[in-house]
Amino acid sequence: MSKPIIQFSKASFGFPGRIALDEITLEIMEGEFVGIIGPNGSGKTTLLRALLGLIPPISGQVHIFDCACEKLRCHHRARIGYLPQKDRVDPDFPVTVFEAVLMGRFSSIGLLRRPSRADDEIVRHALEEVGMAEHAETPLGHLSGGQQQRVFIARALAQQPQVLLLDEPTTGVDMPTQQTILELIKKLHETLRLTILLVTHDINMIVPFVNRLALLKTKLYAAAPPKEVLTKEILSQVYGKQIMVTEKGFVIVGDYHHA
Amino acid sequence: MLEIMAYGFMQRALLASVLIGILCSVIGVFVVLKGLSFIGAGTAHAAFAGVALAFLLDLNPMGMAVLFGLMTVWITGLLVEKGRMKLDVSIGIFYTSTMALAILFIGFMKVYNAELYGYLFGSILSVTPSDLTVIAGLGLVVLVALFLFYKELQFIAFDQEMAEASGIPARTLFFLLISLIALTIVVSLKAVGAVLVYAMLLIPAATAYQLTRSMKGMMIVSILFGVLSSVAGMFLSFVMDIPSGAAIVLLATALFFLSVLFSPKRRKPLRPAKAQEP
Repeated sequence: MSKPIIQFSKASFGFPGRIALDEITLEIMEGEFVGIIGPNGSGKTTLLRALLGLIPPISGQVHIFDCACEKLRCHHRARIGYLPQKDRVDPDFPVTVFEAVLMGRFSSIGLLRRPSRADDEIVRHALEEVGMAEHAETPLGHLSGGQQQRVFIARALAQQPQVLLLDEPTTGVDMPTQQTILELIKKLHETLRLTILLVTHDINMIVPFVNRLALLKTKLYAAAPPKEVLTKEILSQVYGKQIMVTEKGFVIVGDYHHA
Repeated sequence: MLEIMAYGFMQRALLASVLIGILCSVIGVFVVLKGLSFIGAGTAHAAFAGVALAFLLDLNPMGMAVLFGLMTVWITGLLVEKGRMKLDVSIGIFYTSTMALAILFIGFMKVYNAELYGYLFGSILSVTPSDLTVIAGLGLVVLVALFLFYKELQFIAFDQEMAEASGIPARTLFFLLISLIALTIVVSLKAVGAVLVYAMLLIPAATAYQLTRSMKGMMIVSILFGVLSSVAGMFLSFVMDIPSGAAIVLLATALFFLSVLFSPKRRKPLRPAKAQEP
C-alpha cells in the first residue's frame, strides 16, 4: 500500500467572510494523474498555490512529501514543478527560450554556483521533450502563446520534479495545440512516473488522460475516476441545471462564461 | 584640456564617475526589468534626509545616508509585499514625505550649507579621498553581490513568484536586491545628487532595453551608456561650471532619445489569434 504523496485534511483557505476553499479532504497517491475541474472561481488555482505553500490554510492541514505546505523549504519546492496560469509573465523580458528553461535548474544548482554542462544537457533534453529544441536561441517574446506554454512546461521539467502542478495549461491556445500539450503531459506522466495535478475548465478534453477527476466548487464534491464523477447527479450539484451528459459520456456545460 | 587631469580632484572625479556610472547602469537593469523605479525615488530623498540630519548633528553623512536609505528601502519592500505599494498615491506620498523630512532638517540648520546642496544636485568635482574610499568600497560590495547572485536575481526579475515556487529563497534575495539599490543610491549621491539619482538608475538601462534582446547584452550596453554619460557629464560640469547631476542626466536623456529613434526593436507582428473558448 503506498502512502499518499499529497494530503489535504479538512483544509480551508481564504479570509473569514470570503472562503476560497472549504474543508478540503483529499489524498493523492504517488504517480496519479488527477484532473481538477469546476467552474471559474471555484478555488482550483488556490488549491495549487496552497500546495506550494504560497497560501497558508486558515484551518486544517495540507501536506506534501510528508511536510506541512506552509513550512515548505526550498528543497521541497524544488521537487514540485509548477506551470502557473498563462499571461502572468512579461514576454518582452530579454530572455531566450534556453535561458528561460535554465531557470528551472537554479534551485538544484544552488546559490553561488554556476550552471554546469550537465544542467545544459537537462535543459536541452527538456526542450526536446516539448518539441521546442530548435527554438533554443529564440527570444521568448517572439513565440506564440502555445509555444511559450511549451517552454514553461520545459522549465517545470528541467527542475526534474516528482510532482507537476499545471494551472490551465491549455487555455488560450488553439485546439490542435491543446491536444498536443495534453498528449505531451500524458507521455511525461507515463515515462517519468510523475504525480500530476492539472487544473482545467475543459472537462471533455481531460477525460481520456486522467486517473481521477476532482470536482471543486469551494467544496470538494467528488474525487473519483471520470465515469463515476461525470454523472448528472454529481455535476448538477456544482453546475446546477446547466449541465448535460450525453450517452457517450460527453459533458455539455451551458451558459458558461469564461473569465 | 588634458592638463586638468593632473589635478587630484579631477582624477577623483573621473574615478568616481566611472564607478558610479557602472553601478547605476548595472543595478538599473534590475530596476527597469522589475519595475522598481519608484523605490529609487523615495529612497534617494530619504538618503538625502540622512545626510541633512548628519550635517545637523555633526555625524558622518555617508553613514547616515546608508542608514536612512536601507531603512526606507526595507519598509518599501514590506509594503510591496503586502501589495500596498501598487497605488501611485502611496508612491506619491512616500516620494514627497521623505523629501519633506529632508527639508525639515535643512530648516533646522540656520546656516546655508553649500556642501549639503552638493548632495542634492550633485557635485562630483568635490569628491574627497575619503568619499572615494566609501564609493569604491560600497560599490565593490554591490558588484560582488550582483555577481554572486546573478542567476537568482535574473529569475526574480523575470518572475519572482515562480522563482519562489521553484525552490529559490526569492523573498530574501528580493530584499537583498533592494538593499543593493539603496547602497547604489547612497554611493551616487555625490555625483548625481538626490534629486536626479533615480534617473541614473533608469535611463542607461532603459536605453539599453531599446537596443538589446538579452540580459547580458542589456547590462553591457547599459554600462556603456552609463559610463559615457557619467564621464562626459563630469567634464561638462567642469567646463561649464554647472551642477554635475544636471549635466550627467541630460546627456543620458539625450542618448536615450537617440536610442529610441534608432531602436532595432520594431513592434512585434500580431501573434496568432487566441482560440475562442466554447
